[in-house]
Amino acid sequence: MEDSLEAIVEEAESGSRGLGMASRAEFEAWKAGFVGPRGSFTLARKRIADLPREEKPEYGRRLNEVKQRLDRIFEQVLERIEMAELTASLGDPPDPTLPPPGWDRGSSHLLTQVREAICTILARVGFVVAEGPEVETEFFCFDALNTPSEHPARDLQDTYYLHSDARFANVSKRDDERYLLRTHTSTVQIRTMLEQQPPLRIISPGRCFRRDTADATHGANFHQIEALYVDRDVTVKDLKAILDYLFRNLLGPDAETRFRPHFFPYTEPSFEVDFRSRHLNKVGKEWMEIMGCGMVDPVVFESVGYDPAVWSGYAFGLGIERIAMTLYGVDDIRYFYQNDLRFLRQFA
Amino acid sequence: MKISLNWLRNYVALEHSVAEIEQALTLIGFEVEEVVETGLAPVPNVVVGEVLERAPHPNADRLSVCRVRTSPEEEPRNIVCGASNYSVGDHVPVALPGAKLAGGLNIKQSKLRGVVSDGMMCSPRELGLGEDHDGLLILTGKPAVGTPIHEALPAADVIFDIEVTPNRPDCLSHIGIAREMAAYFRLELDYPVVRTSTQHPFVATENPCLRAVRSDTPANCPHYRAYCLTGVRVAPSPDWLRERLEAIGLRPINNVVDVTNFVLHEIGQPLHAFDAAKLSGGKIIVRQAHRGETLDMLDGKRRDLHQQMTVIADADRAIALAGIMGGIETEVDETTTDVVLEAAWFNPANIRWAARRVGVATDSSYRFERGVDPEGTEYAALRAVDLIAEIAGGSFCGPALIDGAPPMEDREIDIAPDYVRKRLGFALEDREIREALESLQLEVSEIEDPADPEQATYRVGIPAFRIDLERPIDLVEEVLRMYGTDRIPDAVVRAPGLIAEDSPIVRFQRRVNVSLVEKGFHECMHYSMRSEDEVRGWFSHAAADTLALTNPLAMDQSHLRPSLVPGLLDAMLLNQNRRNTPSGLFETGRVFREQDGRLWELFSIAFTLPAGVGDPQWRNPPDPDYYTVAGIAKQVLELAGVAPELLREPVPVLGVDPWQEGHSAELGDLQEGFLARFGLLNVAMTRGRDIAGMVYGGSIHFLPEFLAEVRPQPRYRPFSLFPDSTRDLALLVDREQPAERVRSELESAAREATGEAFDVESVRIFDVYEGKGLPEGRKSLAFSIRFRSAHRTLKEEEVAAAFQRIQEAITRTNRYAIRS
Repeated sequence: MEDSLEAIVEEAESGSRGLGMASRAEFEAWKAGFVGPRGSFTLARKRIADLPREEKPEYGRRLNEVKQRLDRIFEQVLERIEMAELTASLGDPPDPTLPPPGWDRGSSHLLTQVREAICTILARVGFVVAEGPEVETEFFCFDALNTPSEHPARDLQDTYYLHSDARFANVSKRDDERYLLRTHTSTVQIRTMLEQQPPLRIISPGRCFRRDTADATHGANFHQIEALYVDRDVTVKDLKAILDYLFRNLLGPDAETRFRPHFFPYTEPSFEVDFRSRHLNKVGKEWMEIMGCGMVDPVVFESVGYDPAVWSGYAFGLGIERIAMTLYGVDDIRYFYQNDLRFLRQFA
Repeated sequence: MKISLNWLRNYVALEHSVAEIEQALTLIGFEVEEVVETGLAPVPNVVVGEVLERAPHPNADRLSVCRVRTSPEEEPRNIVCGASNYSVGDHVPVALPGAKLAGGLNIKQSKLRGVVSDGMMCSPRELGLGEDHDGLLILTGKPAVGTPIHEALPAADVIFDIEVTPNRPDCLSHIGIAREMAAYFRLELDYPVVRTSTQHPFVATENPCLRAVRSDTPANCPHYRAYCLTGVRVAPSPDWLRERLEAIGLRPINNVVDVTNFVLHEIGQPLHAFDAAKLSGGKIIVRQAHRGETLDMLDGKRRDLHQQMTVIADADRAIALAGIMGGIETEVDETTTDVVLEAAWFNPANIRWAARRVGVATDSSYRFERGVDPEGTEYAALRAVDLIAEIAGGSFCGPALIDGAPPMEDREIDIAPDYVRKRLGFALEDREIREALESLQLEVSEIEDPADPEQATYRVGIPAFRIDLERPIDLVEEVLRMYGTDRIPDAVVRAPGLIAEDSPIVRFQRRVNVSLVEKGFHECMHYSMRSEDEVRGWFSHAAADTLALTNPLAMDQSHLRPSLVPGLLDAMLLNQNRRNTPSGLFETGRVFREQDGRLWELFSIAFTLPAGVGDPQWRNPPDPDYYTVAGIAKQVLELAGVAPELLREPVPVLGVDPWQEGHSAELGDLQEGFLARFGLLNVAMTRGRDIAGMVYGGSIHFLPEFLAEVRPQPRYRPFSLFPDSTRDLALLVDREQPAERVRSELESAAREATGEAFDVESVRIFDVYEGKGLPEGRKSLAFSIRFRSAHRTLKEEEVAAAFQRIQEAITRTNRYAIRS
């Protein structure tokens, strides 16, 4: 009796091993050989009726145990079959060397990347980005920046103007001065100073315009970042410190800067800044002019209502195209505005 | 501006190397654009030689053996030479044994392929004269054999081409630069001594050339002086004067004119010499030009004068355009014997305007525009009188005729050493500050600070020619220049924290950029100026007029861009023509729009996606369509903080130019802060631009003010943890019915049906079907309605009851039928 039950389990076990990659129907037929109406286990269970009363409980317990073992075996076989079916449904394996179709990583424009790099470096020392309009007025672009009324920068030769009947709903004027396209983003500094009280520390990245004929290093349209720091007792030493910090972060720890006295109407003293850095192979040894800077001229503070006896500050401005060309070795400024995908994709 | 080192050394004993001088000029604010070394310094043992014979070398095809005479007394030498550009009889430089040449070459007697060579004939490069090494330096003019070579060539000089910033007109001369060099290197400065009053005493008779000078326009000419010389012999200038002028690139003319040019470049005061005999009426009047007046100028051109121009006139006519150029009728030429020399001060703004207006820039106008020394006219004129008398002879008929007075006087600035230290941020000693100022020929005296008797304050005398020095801060710069910007100490960045954050426009721009780049778009940048034709074609003529620049430089950049889309189309075409794999493109930036007669500067985002183009791939990705770009546009608007309820019902774009009617839609209104259009770009327009395939895209404008609005930050809203219950419902609706109308009606019906009992979480469209099995003109929209309660698990019966009420409500009007 015992032996025959054990034999059923053994038969199921060995049968399941031999079943291999059977179909579901084969499995059901095989399973019926044990638990179907005429299956060996069904027959063995029916035999309980013939047993003497005292043996019935033990046999019943054995039957239960064997049933559980059989169910486990069936379950395992079924799982194997299901996995085989699932695997089969996956289809042919891919050729891993085929190029994934239609996949093209996008890219930020190189000028955006450089702008963000500079903003990030300056954000770490507390500069925040300020924005202003590209169409500006003579007051914000020149007057407030201490540019004399007959200064050549204001000439029609150098600055784009709009017609006198143009009326901008959302670019405020000081008086009835002309609208123009801003020649630098210092205009944002003026607008910010008119709105906020010091201390303040802002950077204004943005598009500027000069009436230049396009060539490898000039365009009528270019981008600048200007920075302004106004506080008590801001000194020339602080200006040198921030520029060393900026260029060492941007161009490598061995970058050096050099201040050459210069002249801008809105700063006094004013400097042009040269840099050199061994990291940049071609330009590493020679001093290279990169930007202008200076201490905010007291006249500028007066024009925005800051007391120059209390407040002092520095300002600096650099051309994003110039920095990008230096950092990445781009040799023609026009590539930035042609948008050849072979150029754009290089910096993805 | 060109500065000759030899010339400079007339006023300051500069013994520093060229590199040191270049560095000094650079560090005190004079950018050196070019350094050119000219002429030749003494080179021992290099002399002029004459080639007497030239024969082929017996053992080398390319060499010759020459007999060269290098001294009138000595025997000619044998010299082997590899050059071929010379002939017998030429005079050439010969390096004798013992000579040391440029590049460290030592010359000694040696054998070349078996033939003794007793010296070397030299190329320009071997002498250190530039890079020419193609052959021997042939000495024109055949200087005497045996002459040391440097005597046979122009003297060695160094020409610095330097940039002088507009605030420093006092440095537009050799003395101006000498003054700066003397200050930086702390050397003595020697001004030329004027001898006129002693060696050429005034002729105390009546001036035979001129009776009077007068300025009728004191605003434009407050000070005018005229000096007269008689009996002058006009001739070519002596060598020293010609050499000076030629060194800085000027063409010598005659001794009188050359002296005026020399003094201009020596002292910085432009002068003008008139032929006294050609003046009419014995007087000079400075006045505004008359209407219709013309002047034949020294450059040979006749110019119409404008009444705002200042002219020098005699009794009859204009004879010079003041401060810019003289007239040809009164020029000094070889027939001239009596000269009237002008030294004046003109209003810089007037000269600048006039020079631009007539389109002439001269060394004279350049200096007057920037501002010449108001007190320097007399000194410069007397210096010129000295030189003319010395070179061209003649008698000085003094005294000068003068009208007006120098317009500016010497002034004083008080400055405390502490102020300097406070502005610079580092510790200089009082002594260093004082020395720096004094080195610049500024007179410094110590006065008591009325506010603080303990504290010394300096009173600094400013000469009239330093027009840039007006305030204490201006002197801070002077101290730093002379102290040295290279000595600013290293420091750490001071960064006290401020309560501030980046502009919301920039923050939004960054988020859009990241979002589009991650979708595979490439960011582009185009010029903000577009052509008139394009703007007129795309927008109204009125819009085009208001967007015009008054002074465009190029025809295709005459108007401000009203949209970023045309730029992207340019880029698509460029990439198509260059056969680059096409891709999605986008740009962000400012655009300009006219609305109700006013212009708005807007922040804009545009993107394009090509469809039906590109090289076939082994498996082609699906082409984008309207829904692709609508989804992207919607995401951009969501990033900008546009409320979701404003995004549900885009309406078709009708009659707006770049968009294909029926295949594009718009959201928003500029008055409310934003306007988005998206879909298919007009196919006729893209085809007209030769762009292959279809272009889908979006163009979204924001008022900058809209992006800057502060939006409340989101607050947490509790969500239900109980399971949902979902029912699907398909409705047959008119084909033209917008799906969102049906959906929102269904949502209202659902909310009404559930009432307060539980929530309708969402009503979502999941299938749209048209065609077989449906009545003509109808479509099927399938919705999934999700119910949930915040407090309990929903019972089957209550959901079923609600669903029943929804179906009844939605079919009540007979516009919709339930599709079973």
